[in-house]
Amino acid sequence: MTSATAAARDSIMITGIGAVSPLGSSAAEITANLLAGASGVRSIPPHAFARESRQFAAPLTGIPPPPAGTCHLDAAAFAALPRLDRLCLSPITHALADAALPAGTPRTRIGLVLGQGAEHLKVWDFDFLDHGTLVFEPRQGRSLVHRLAEHAGIAGPAVTAAAACASSGYAMALGRTWLEAGWVDACIVGGCDILSPTALAAFYNLRALSRRGDDPTKSSRPFDRDRDGFVMGEGGAFFMLERRADAARRGARMYGELAGVGMSSDASHMVTPCIDPRNAARAIVMAMEDAGVGPEEVDYVNAHAAGTPVGDAAEAGAIRLALDTAADRVPVSSTKSMSGHLVSGAAAFEAIACLAAIERQAIPPTVNLDHPDENCPLDHVPHVARPARVRVTASNSFGFGGSNLCLVIRAAS
Amino acid sequence: MPISLHTAGPAAACAVASHAMVEARLSAIDALRTGGWPATAPALPPRFLRHSDEQTVVGMHAVLAAIARYPEPRPSFDLYGVIAASCQAGRISAAQTLVQAAAIGGTAVSTRIVPECSLHSPAGAVSVGLGMHGPNIGVGGGPDALAEGLFTAIAWLRPMAAGRMRCDGVWLIVSGWDEEPVLDAAGTPVTDPICRAVALSLVPLRAGHLALELHVDAAAGLQPPAQTTSGLLTALGNALAAHDHAGGVSQWSHRCPWAAEIRLVPADAATQGEAA
Repeated sequence: MTSATAAARDSIMITGIGAVSPLGSSAAEITANLLAGASGVRSIPPHAFARESRQFAAPLTGIPPPPAGTCHLDAAAFAALPRLDRLCLSPITHALADAALPAGTPRTRIGLVLGQGAEHLKVWDFDFLDHGTLVFEPRQGRSLVHRLAEHAGIAGPAVTAAAACASSGYAMALGRTWLEAGWVDACIVGGCDILSPTALAAFYNLRALSRRGDDPTKSSRPFDRDRDGFVMGEGGAFFMLERRADAARRGARMYGELAGVGMSSDASHMVTPCIDPRNAARAIVMAMEDAGVGPEEVDYVNAHAAGTPVGDAAEAGAIRLALDTAADRVPVSSTKSMSGHLVSGAAAFEAIACLAAIERQAIPPTVNLDHPDENCPLDHVPHVARPARVRVTASNSFGFGGSNLCLVIRAAS
Repeated sequence: MPISLHTAGPAAACAVASHAMVEARLSAIDALRTGGWPATAPALPPRFLRHSDEQTVVGMHAVLAAIARYPEPRPSFDLYGVIAASCQAGRISAAQTLVQAAAIGGTAVSTRIVPECSLHSPAGAVSVGLGMHGPNIGVGGGPDALAEGLFTAIAWLRPMAAGRMRCDGVWLIVSGWDEEPVLDAAGTPVTDPICRAVALSLVPLRAGHLALELHVDAAAGLQPPAQTTSGLLTALGNALAAHDHAGGVSQWSHRCPWAAEIRLVPADAATQGEAA
């Protein structure tokens, strides 16, 4: 893919944003907190399957109700939904409202791609702990994505995409293909996740979670020498995507362009990150090629880096391999140091971090990076945001099953 | 350039290079974790499927059977992507985990429940087990898994055909139970339903192959069929088998829950216009 070929395609633009997260429930609030180096990690009450009395996580700050006119449910019906449904429906409806599509837009021409890695496990988990019997029952209920589409009045294609911690990034990639193909005129894409006792216990048992017991705000330490695992968070983001020509025609605000996508698999192990950086690097290179940019044009990399000893070092190797000599001067940070790891929602949330960097011309920091690991030799942005010229960003997301994803997000103009 | 929605032709199409359907009763699946695949299929890493969800096991067998049926010389699948559309995968493991965790606490929660019994697990297993380095994702998860899987696969084939995705093809695996297993209070199955999986090796449209066509306008206003994924897979498997045995293909199409329909068409009838 050359720059000329990339330029010949319709650009896919972000024209609406909705979010729920440990750092706020709007793009503006999240941007301010990311650039201030604020942490959303705190001590949480012991959950049903907790093995220690004290555990850290990054819970939501709140779930705003849908804006007027974006949802078929009234306030009481919304409040009665399962928490996972509310947690997704809120940012979907806020993205719809933010995009302000013309009133006559056919709902059959709006698509929805939900990034969610383990929807049923969470539904069964919470239902069981509420003395329900869903997990034992031989029935198939409608999937979350189709319930959400109905509530939000979206009648176009609706698909759930699952790639573990990269799920919402794959959702963004898939929605982009639908727009490029002309199968939809607008598409809501993204994902959210929820703190669930089974997932917390499973990751704890896997020794993937940080077991630091001192200050919760210090526990998420990507790229730091003393990192010992990630901190789970909840939330995520949804975006309205449209073709540039359509967005320009109606005078829509364009936050940025989803300019490139690269996807690959390690094919190495179902759980453990692959220490060979070549396949992750291939995803980064593919995303740059898809966007028609070279390594020297990338102004910021939002790393997947969750704070695991193996994963962060492997990613640093992949970034260096993909960016070659440019890796010495391209700023890299992991916003999971502040938000925790939003799992299925992480890639979408981190796309907001990229848009924040573009809008505010500043790189969000990696907080708690007191002693950068010598095995992660990158141009880190420790502790505080760094002013910078930012037009092109790359955001990495990796998941169980060896999924690698890189999104290139570029300034709208 | 966006395509018109109001044409009689397909919005996109791709070729079916190989396919297979495998089914197994729940009681027989444990035996399939360590063998039972065609002798000419690629070898899996030792004990690779021992913790896998049932639909992953049957789905993997479908892929292995489809690979074994591939005409020689087989292509390398190194740069194939994997899309797996399962239906409530991992329910048995989830039930047993929840019961045990409630009884003895968090130590009972298996580290395998998320990586090997979730929606992404069947795709991850095929990618890891067979060394495929294209992207791998799970889609669906509920009763609309077949529509979501086919739609996603055909969507992926478009940038692939345009050379924008370094992939040679996509494996689509769709799986489900003929009847969801009935579980007792310990999470132990008390029925013995059939798990069914269809694996399709999909590549950009080419002459001489069966084709899948996506029609995005033809099904507007029509309701999708009210069948289980497993029932739908039986019909798809029968249509594919008819092609194998009779050299033709029986009529098969699937309406999505949105305005789209996917049709299986003989190679010589596939529209060569706007193709994936």
